Amino acid sequence: MKFTPRGLKSNLNISPTSAVKDFFELVIKILGFILVIYVLLGFAVDYITPRISTNTERKLGKLFSAKFERKERTHAELQLQQILDELIEKSQGLPPFTYKVYVEEAKDVNALALPGGNIVVLSALLKEVDSKNALAMVLAHELGHFYHRDYLRGLGRSLVFLLISSTLFGSDSSVSRVVTNAVTNAEMRFSQVQEKAADLYALDLLNKTYGGVAGATDFFEKMARKEKLWSVFYIFASHSYPASRIVAIKENIKLKGYVMGQKIPLAVEIKEDFLKNN
Amino acid sequence: MGDLIYLIILIGVGYFIGTQVEKKHYKSIKEREAKFLYLPVVSSENLLEEKVVNEARLVYGNAVISTDYFKSILAGLRNLLGGEVSAFETLLDRARREAILRLKEKAQGADIILNLRVETCRISQTGSSEVLAYGTAVYYKK
Repeated sequence: MKFTPRGLKSNLNISPTSAVKDFFELVIKILGFILVIYVLLGFAVDYITPRISTNTERKLGKLFSAKFERKERTHAELQLQQILDELIEKSQGLPPFTYKVYVEEAKDVNALALPGGNIVVLSALLKEVDSKNALAMVLAHELGHFYHRDYLRGLGRSLVFLLISSTLFGSDSSVSRVVTNAVTNAEMRFSQVQEKAADLYALDLLNKTYGGVAGATDFFEKMARKEKLWSVFYIFASHSYPASRIVAIKENIKLKGYVMGQKIPLAVEIKEDFLKNN
Repeated sequence: MGDLIYLIILIGVGYFIGTQVEKKHYKSIKEREAKFLYLPVVSSENLLEEKVVNEARLVYGNAVISTDYFKSILAGLRNLLGGEVSAFETLLDRARREAILRLKEKAQGADIILNLRVETCRISQTGSSEVLAYGTAVYYKK
């Protein structure tokens, strides 16, 4: 047998498909798959949320409060708690939790309603409020979320989503982080309607507690002025204060014929504590 | 958002640099394959023709080729849905051909390489693969 050298003409071991085409096809398929799960999850969460008992939620709340609980409560926390208690006394229809407010050191101007009656106010927010009424409005707004149980819906979907991505890619991977951020942003945009509903609940409660609605829009107006510069990044903000919310509050004040009343200044020691916190 | 930009940059850089490196490697492989075309490499254990053998010795060549970020992500996505992982085909093809070329280079002056065996293994989590080719270089009595 004679050996005749022959070179390779074609290479059957390599598929003729384009890698870039393959990549985009896969990305679109996977995103589509995620979208379907996301929509289904939305329905599932909507279905489950009203069925979660306060007892279950209280247990869930312990997971969160354990993170913020400290041995000693700061001045600011005690003062905020006092305002919160005043509001709760006048409120109606809130789930029967022991409501507790925590102050967390953070640069974001935000407050969060977490399961089980836990409210977390970020320290940067305290710098932005000028009166007790404005602060009460923020707390009442969070109580509004408890009234509608919005946070369970938002948290439910984010939590399940994060679980999926961390199972697929590992909790530490950059893909998971991207998914988490994307989910949080989408979730916040979803909840703009809920934000407005919480605003209106807060307005009613503020009026009931202080006999007037002075300072109701103070904090939002201040944030709206600040955010003008950053309006491009609006959709990425975890919490936003669009002008439409201020308008809705003002319209509601007119509609219900609320009087403005007096603004109550913040107690001196809270102010000092706020500064210490920052 | 920052994470997403970071990911896109990594994939983009991986794609462009990876493609360039691959093109260059294939060019070199094809050139050397043409150069060594005269030397037969077969998987047969015995000589194909009656010849008097002067010398026979073990020759081997191995190559380790790494994937790029784009290919890793592409293969990762493929892992989710299943199917052919075409992203790694060129990677293994290059490693296999490079290993055989190195084996041929090692067998300078041989008349034939018998009993060719090719083995592969994964080197690391990041997706490098090693291919080892070994065989018996046979030198005929002239």
